[in-house]
Amino acid sequence: MDARVINPFITVCFSILETILGEVPQRGTPAAQAADCTCHQVNVMVGFTGALTGNVIYGMPLTTADKIASIMIGTPVRTFDSMAASAIAELANMISGNVLMELSSIGLECDMTPPTIVRGRNVKMSTLDIPAIAIPFTTNVGELTVVVGVHPMIK
Amino acid sequence: MSATILITDDTVFMRTSLKNILNANGFDNVVEASNGQEAVGQYALHKPSVVLMDITMPVMDGISAVKMIRQMDPQAKIIMCSAMGQRNMVMDAVQAGAKDFIVKPFQADRVVESVRKLLGAEAA
Repeated sequence: MDARVINPFITVCFSILETILGEVPQRGTPAAQAADCTCHQVNVMVGFTGALTGNVIYGMPLTTADKIASIMIGTPVRTFDSMAASAIAELANMISGNVLMELSSIGLECDMTPPTIVRGRNVKMSTLDIPAIAIPFTTNVGELTVVVGVHPMIK
Repeated sequence: MSATILITDDTVFMRTSLKNILNANGFDNVVEASNGQEAVGQYALHKPSVVLMDITMPVMDGISAVKMIRQMDPQAKIIMCSAMGQRNMVMDAVQAGAKDFIVKPFQADRVVESVRKLLGAEAA
C-alpha cells in the first residue's frame, strides 16, 4: 500500500491519541493483514469513499475501550454502555476525519461514512478483497490497532 | 444567559460534551438534534441564537441542514463542528451559510469563543 496513504493514519493517530490521552503512544511495526481478519473485542469501522475506497477498522480490547471512554467522558466507565460506545465511535470519527484532511492536502479527496461499532469476541471483520495494513499502537491505557484496508478508486 | 443553542451531532457523546461545555460557561438553554433533519425541525421550533452542526450524520448531513435552515432564516448563525476540515468541506460549509468551522478534537475554549463571538454579532 502507498506510504502516502498509510502515513497520515500514523501521524494523525499520534496527534489525536496524545491530545486525548495526554501521552504520546508507541507505534509497533505495520504489517500486512489477511483481508479476513479476527479483530478485537471492540471494533469501530469507518468506510472511505472517493479517491480511496474501502474500510478502516479501529480495534482494541474492551479494557482499553473502557479506559479511553472514561478519559473522553470524564467519569469512570464501569460497563461499556451506549455513552462509552459513542465516545469510542467519536474517537474513530476524529482520527478518520483528520486523516481525510491530510489526504486532501496531497490531492486525495475522500469522504467517510459514520462509524459503526462491532463488539464481541472472535468477530471476523473483512475488508473484502482489499489488502489491509495493520498498524499497532501501544498507549498508556492499552493496545489499539488501526487496520487500513483502502485502495485507489479506479474510474 | 438566555440565548438558546442548538447542538446537532449524531453521537450522544459529542452532544453531551458540547452541552457540558456550554452549561459550564453559562449557556443553560441547550436543545439537541441527532441529525440534520431533526436540526431543521428543532430550529423551526426553538429559533436558537446559535447552531453547532456536525457534517457527517445519517438521514441528513450537516451541509444540507445548513442550507435548509438558512432558507428558513437567512440570519441563522451556524458553527460547523466536524472532524472533517478539508478545504473543500470548509468552503462548502461557508457557501451554505456557516459562520465558523471548528475541527474536532477541539478545546472547550474554542467552542465558547466562537459561540460568544456570534452572539456578540447578534447583539451589535
